[in-house]
Amino acid sequence: MKNAIGREIPEVIGSRNVSPYAGAFSTLRADRKAGRHQKGAPQHENKILPSLEAAIEATGLSDGMTISFHHSFRDGDRVINQVLDACARKGLKDLRLLPTALFPVHAGIVGHIESGLVSRIEGSMNGPIGAFVSQGGRLSEPAVLRSHGGRWRAIEAGDVEIDVAFIAAPQADAYGNATGIKGKTPCGPIAFSAVDAQYAKHTVVLTSDLAPYPVYPMEIQQGWVDYVVVLDEIGDPDNIASGTLVLTKSPTRLLIAQMTTDAVVHSGYFVDGFSFQGGAGGISLAATKYLGDEMEKAGIVGSFGMGGGTKMLVELLHRGLIRAILDGQAFDLDAVRSIREDEAHVMIDPGMYANYDSRGCATYKLDAAFLGATEVDLDFNVNVNTHSDGMLLHGIGGHQDVAAGAAMTMITIPTLRGRIPVIMDSVTTVTTPGEVIDVIVTERGIAVNPKREDLKERFLAARLPVRSLEEIKEEADAMIQPVRKPVFGDEIVAAIEWRDGTMIDVVRKVEGFE
Amino acid sequence: MSSGGVAGSDAKGDCLVTVERAETLHVNVLTKADVLVARGIETVVRNTLAQCGSPNLAVEVQDVGSLDYVLAARTETAVRSALSVDAVAIKSRVRRLATPVDRPRRSRLYAPGNNPRLLASIDVHGADCVLLDLEDSVPLSEKLAARILVKHLLAAIPFPRDVWVRINGLDSEGEADVREILYGQPHGVCLPKAESAADVVALSKLLDEVEAAYDIDPGFTKIMPIIETARGVLRCEEIATADPRIVMMAFGAEDYTRDVGAIRSRPSLLFARSMIVAAATVAGIQASDTVFSDLDDEEGLANETALARELGFDGKGAINPRQLGPIHRAFSPSEVELVYARRVVEAAESAERAGSGAVALDGKMIDKPVLERAKRVLKYGQQLVQGGDVA
Repeated sequence: MKNAIGREIPEVIGSRNVSPYAGAFSTLRADRKAGRHQKGAPQHENKILPSLEAAIEATGLSDGMTISFHHSFRDGDRVINQVLDACARKGLKDLRLLPTALFPVHAGIVGHIESGLVSRIEGSMNGPIGAFVSQGGRLSEPAVLRSHGGRWRAIEAGDVEIDVAFIAAPQADAYGNATGIKGKTPCGPIAFSAVDAQYAKHTVVLTSDLAPYPVYPMEIQQGWVDYVVVLDEIGDPDNIASGTLVLTKSPTRLLIAQMTTDAVVHSGYFVDGFSFQGGAGGISLAATKYLGDEMEKAGIVGSFGMGGGTKMLVELLHRGLIRAILDGQAFDLDAVRSIREDEAHVMIDPGMYANYDSRGCATYKLDAAFLGATEVDLDFNVNVNTHSDGMLLHGIGGHQDVAAGAAMTMITIPTLRGRIPVIMDSVTTVTTPGEVIDVIVTERGIAVNPKREDLKERFLAARLPVRSLEEIKEEADAMIQPVRKPVFGDEIVAAIEWRDGTMIDVVRKVEGFE
Repeated sequence: MSSGGVAGSDAKGDCLVTVERAETLHVNVLTKADVLVARGIETVVRNTLAQCGSPNLAVEVQDVGSLDYVLAARTETAVRSALSVDAVAIKSRVRRLATPVDRPRRSRLYAPGNNPRLLASIDVHGADCVLLDLEDSVPLSEKLAARILVKHLLAAIPFPRDVWVRINGLDSEGEADVREILYGQPHGVCLPKAESAADVVALSKLLDEVEAAYDIDPGFTKIMPIIETARGVLRCEEIATADPRIVMMAFGAEDYTRDVGAIRSRPSLLFARSMIVAAATVAGIQASDTVFSDLDDEEGLANETALARELGFDGKGAINPRQLGPIHRAFSPSEVELVYARRVVEAAESAERAGSGAVALDGKMIDKPVLERAKRVLKYGQQLVQGGDVA
């Protein structure tokens, strides 16, 4: 069957029945969700276990079960690999992984898939794991990719059940209260795991800094936690910022950041109380900096900036240019420090940030957002999941949630990456539909979605370089030979969920090239 | 004659092309990117080899995300460093219109001629005048590679405004530069260290010859002499008036201060700056101030640009696109200036309708130079609006 944006979606994927994507806000639910698992604790229960193996035994983790993790240490995470190694030593097989994201440091999972320890993944697909899974036939069911808000929703709704949640906690007490912003190796908020902790059959907190009761802020609460294991190492905070957070020196990227800022300033949203979210890429960071300067010049004070927290965002708070930061994850250690020290730097969990089935998301309060993309197309659809060769490359992160929520969603992209075009006739994979994308900013001009004639008029009045996406694409394509396109087979290697749980696209196995 | 040649580099945006003598022509593409681009790369390389006369060479290409014109340039460079092949004409090139003498040239943005990564989107920053450099930013060993790259870039990219090339002096590689890059038809050529009318005339004669040979309208290619020596400063007027191709004269302070043994400061540059502005005025051409080389000193740039405007310059050099904003703002007519100019012109028009020879505005007589100046400001303002670029 074809979904609302014309993508061919099967009625059944693996063992699940599929609802096709019907529109960004088309699903209406008013039913009651699955409840939490009930379990009381004896008053003086000792939750400390001596090792991961002991935790595996105590939780009854066995073949075919589902385990979950957060990604707050990003590329510095040491927990996922340790837990999987322990599971391997215990001879487990057919586990399903439900991480909030994976990073290059987790490349060892490829070996665990080959050995049969891991047979399913529902979570982001980064480089080596994505490339491996893309070959097809590696997992017992297609991978499932969800946005941050979509994952929270799926767990609450019972779409996916967690047997054991393993939660890396930079500081925890023996009764299970835990935080990510303190301890020997703080990594920033860990509330991504709050839904895991509440809905999993068993929850295990893993910490390298066991502190006296009570540890706070209680991002993870004692009432959700079965066991606590002390490990020598849970993560390396120096790698939280790896791969992101380098302020670009590329004149092209700085130009895109400048044009993005100009567009925001002339959008009509740039008034007192303005709110925005940018990512951690070079363009976003530079745009955040430029935007701060414009706010200062115009004497505007924003209501909030949304994290991933970064040094740039924290500087805006300290300069009095925004009243608050709402932050679900830290992209650098400056952000972690600010959460500890600044009352107005508020931690939020993905449920509040982006849960479609909630009574209101923080992303819905955004005026402007600037996000990246691997590809965009002439319908303004965005792909962040696959490379143009059809290989899985990245997770969704908050892309869908922010794009759907912000009043003005801007995609900031160079027109070419090396010899690979970024503007396609039709994206390889749809992550986020064009209906929630308002503006695409490239170094060769600003394209406005035809449904936003109002923005186009404002930009033109401000003499911004507004052009059609077709025109920009043509100019970029003239500099390179046509690129070959992948030919896809029938086998589905991954399913891309829209944030409401419907299926927006699937990733099929690449059979060859045109 | 050597048996092989190498061109390019493994830097981002570039490619490394290696050629070896062989029995037949053979192309091998190694690319980190992927299967998506290898075929396109081979097409470009084979087309370029055909234009070089399809020599029997084994060609290996290691691509790091180069655009087609970079690939073509590197292939040609590798072939020409292995065999004696003359400068190769480019079959299909972008056709340009000659640049109007009085087009606003508030900025001249320098770009190093052998750096594909920095050249990749040099056309999009909104510079009034992009200056592809073959002189100071290019090491001696890369002169051939740079002029071939600039040729291919010029032929491939339609710049929205002026695109010029700063060649080397005619006493060194300047002539070879001209014979190469005119295949790409730049709007003009900057002559560094101009010291006499004879320097300019020699360049103009060379342009006459090459334009005729390359099917370019005679006089299409404009000249911008750069004054950067004591001798050049003292002969400003003869240089500025030496040839009708000249539309702008520029100042190069770095070499000038070295030449006269000065330390760069406002007073030490004042004489040269004022000489250049005066000479440009006499010749009826534009004057462009030297570059400001401390990229991080935004205030310094603003101050120096304001000074240049005060002294009568029409524009200023830039070493980075980031400097364009402040420069454009400083050299664009302000709203006050535009309003005043409009009133002057209107007053003159109504005086003419009334058959009155004398023009007065706000009780002051308007003489001819003021009227002419007002007309220029209005036209300038109009051109900037049409160019879509008003600061």
